[in-house]
Amino acid sequence: MPNSLLKANSKQKKYSRIFTMFCTVSLLVSFVLPLFAGDYYMRIISLIFIYMILAIGYNISAGFSGITSFAFAAHYGVGAYVSAVAITRYNMPFLIGLLAGALASGLVGLVVSLPASKVKHHYLALISIGLLEIVQQILNEWQWFTGGAGGMYIPSWNIFNIMLNNFQKYYFILIIMLFCVALQRNLRKSRWGRDLIAIKNNEIAAAGVGINFSKYRIAGYFLSSMLAGLAGSVYASFSGYLSPDTFNFEFTVFILLMAVLGGEGTLSGPIIGAVIATFVPMLFNATPDLKQIVFGALLVVLPQVMPAGISGTIKKYFKEIDHNKYIVDQTEQNEFDIQSNFMKDHSEMEDILVVKGLTKRFGGVTAVDGLDMTIKRGTVHSLIGPNGAGKSTTVNMITGIDKPSEGSIIFNGKEITGNKIFNLTRKGLSRTYQHVRLFTNLSVVENVAIGGRLFYTYSIFDSIFRTRKMKKEERKSFHEAMEYLKIINLYDKANYDPESLSAGQQKLLELARALYMKPDLLVLDEPCAGLSETETLEFSKIIHKIRNAGISILLIEHHMDLVMEISDYITVIDYGKKIAEGDPASVTTNPVVKTAYLGEGA
Amino acid sequence: MQEIVTALANGSIYALMALAIGIIYSTTQIINFAHGSVIMIGAMTSYWLLSIFHMNYFTAILLAVLINIILSMVIYKVSVEKLGDLTQNSSWIVTLFGAGIILDNTARILFGTEPKAYPFLFDGHVISIFGTKIMIHEMMMILVAVIIGVLYQIVIQKTNFGRAVRAVSFRPDTARIMGIRSNRIVLMCFAISGAVAAISGALIAPITFASYTMTYSVGIKAFAAALIGGLGNTKGAFIGGISLGLIEGIASMIVPGGLKDAISFLIMIIVIIVLPGGILSAKLFTKGELKTEKI
Repeated sequence: MPNSLLKANSKQKKYSRIFTMFCTVSLLVSFVLPLFAGDYYMRIISLIFIYMILAIGYNISAGFSGITSFAFAAHYGVGAYVSAVAITRYNMPFLIGLLAGALASGLVGLVVSLPASKVKHHYLALISIGLLEIVQQILNEWQWFTGGAGGMYIPSWNIFNIMLNNFQKYYFILIIMLFCVALQRNLRKSRWGRDLIAIKNNEIAAAGVGINFSKYRIAGYFLSSMLAGLAGSVYASFSGYLSPDTFNFEFTVFILLMAVLGGEGTLSGPIIGAVIATFVPMLFNATPDLKQIVFGALLVVLPQVMPAGISGTIKKYFKEIDHNKYIVDQTEQNEFDIQSNFMKDHSEMEDILVVKGLTKRFGGVTAVDGLDMTIKRGTVHSLIGPNGAGKSTTVNMITGIDKPSEGSIIFNGKEITGNKIFNLTRKGLSRTYQHVRLFTNLSVVENVAIGGRLFYTYSIFDSIFRTRKMKKEERKSFHEAMEYLKIINLYDKANYDPESLSAGQQKLLELARALYMKPDLLVLDEPCAGLSETETLEFSKIIHKIRNAGISILLIEHHMDLVMEISDYITVIDYGKKIAEGDPASVTTNPVVKTAYLGEGA
Repeated sequence: MQEIVTALANGSIYALMALAIGIIYSTTQIINFAHGSVIMIGAMTSYWLLSIFHMNYFTAILLAVLINIILSMVIYKVSVEKLGDLTQNSSWIVTLFGAGIILDNTARILFGTEPKAYPFLFDGHVISIFGTKIMIHEMMMILVAVIIGVLYQIVIQKTNFGRAVRAVSFRPDTARIMGIRSNRIVLMCFAISGAVAAISGALIAPITFASYTMTYSVGIKAFAAALIGGLGNTKGAFIGGISLGLIEGIASMIVPGGLKDAISFLIMIIVIIVLPGGILSAKLFTKGELKTEKI
């Protein structure tokens, strides 16, 4: 194992010991607290626990799925009222009411997040303001259901005919809170959490590794609104009285403040945020008017001076604690061989990709005009042409990022025209991008491992309960990801942020990610743009290795030496039309190609 | 007939508010979540100047416009400028929302919570055209909205500043290389947006009453109109605003008053699902496909 990893490991052990101790102590304190604290403080602490659940819900939405929403006060309110109505009007048992509240809130979340499949996430922020306003109106107007502005009373908790006293309530809330904390942690440390973070970081790259981002985003929002609803229904029975004023704009501000203070996208953020945000308002008991203004000011200032929140800022100093457990206990292995790791169930069709009459028009401009092209299995096929010839557009159409205006694309004998990119990855197509698209919030090794997400089989319940199956698959996946890092010589940087790598290393990392998807056809869009001489050389060696493993490659590249050396076949296009094709030797001597590249009379 | 004129008048003010949102969105790709508050401040300051300092209508609105321009520039400086690349960093959603909270609560402390009756232009004088009684104020609403809309399009199409704005909205980085100070242009756009917001706030206040809650009751409609017309589409803003006004006018005859806002909210969601780019992005209006994100 490389030295840097060893060092990080020892640090990780030390930090995680401190961290475990800290957690145990705070857990113990919260367990024995009711014995000392009076009713007043117990009430406040129970409230903090409820807020933690709510903040975790918000964190899954804003921190992980990348949807900033102002409607969480509304989700909380929907949960509270639905559970209250279920319990008081329909005489349902308390636990059923709890579930009903969470579910109803989740459904509302589902409806408002449906547009997420179509538009950028800030549209949802806009919709959420509307939702908040509407829910507020409904709570006030719909007298029969909610009791209107006068509010409604809920009988005390009653689980299996046992009335809970204050102590039991406290422990009940504590247990639900701990469950939510564990839920959040286990999701973050599994494929689901990584997928959500990937979407937040870079939508297109996430689609490129096979994540149907709109579906995931909606699922993420559904989960988070459900947690908010759960918090609301616990609150309803805990407080015993509901009034529409509890769920107004000021409460939204409070939720945002919890997230911003604690740190969005971190695991401990919601917990720290809930504790601090509950005590801040108490400073303003004398001047309540000033409170909202100070809250607003905090919302303006904090994201600028402390974008990662309190917990993110602390974490910066203890980076090693995040060191991936699965790669720590890895033992030395034999030389990794790409070839042995590829599925050899190719239908032995000779043409892996057939493109016919491919056309793309942007408004009045025809970027690609009736292109025909065939890629033979196991070859390196280069697509070259002057700038603006339509190379990238062609590749974007093949990989399902742009929709062709006309023409057909047949991959492995199947029609894939107009398929979305996240469906193509499963069929054996992966790509890199002209401008590097990495997931900056994931570590280097996680960036590679996400390429292998296609091969996971464990379900969301496996990840929530951390079953053996999940652990086994994760370990295997990370070990393999490390092997790919070995190929590109980034083995000892496994735990770094991708942004700390050089441009060349980032390109290589993207290649490793695409490779781990074990494609039949690998599409490389200018992999060597901006790379130094030596880096280009290294790249070409790796491409040779990949070709030898039997993977077909479609390459766009401007380094002519590289293209001529590597390619089996070259297609030259200009103004969206094919002007020549053939093996490297015949293309270099073609007069039409010379004219296109060097101008008339060359 | 009278209802149609009222709907058109309201719609044209919604259009103005949507235009103000669009001016900022087109250059920065951000939605000004403090916009509702800016409209409200425009209405409240002009009310104050009218009723307490007994200024005439024109000076009051002019001063309110000036205050709003300064306010919008401050909002940009304080909560947006330092965030860097706004397409990568979505903190602006929270910071702008926070700025709105500050404005709302300051307004609540300064102006009180009572809704105030805002005087109509020309004292609410009514004229009769073809037998229908129409308030001059409503005609002024339509007239002012049209003038501002046309003026803005002329500025955008014909002046150097307009060309710079279009350059910045198309490619901020390239515009910067070409010697356009992107930040300055964006600051100017915030200023213009604030001015338009003040005028629209002052014009709609007689109908909705002036109070600090205008931020939500009126602001929501501004966002809905902007979405219906297509975010960042300054021409679409007018179509969005006027269609919202008409829909609202029709809806108010059918559904009970409390649910009127729910209707505009519902339309907003439907439009986003069916036509994410707004009404103008429908196939009917575009020739060929629009450009997708460059990779």
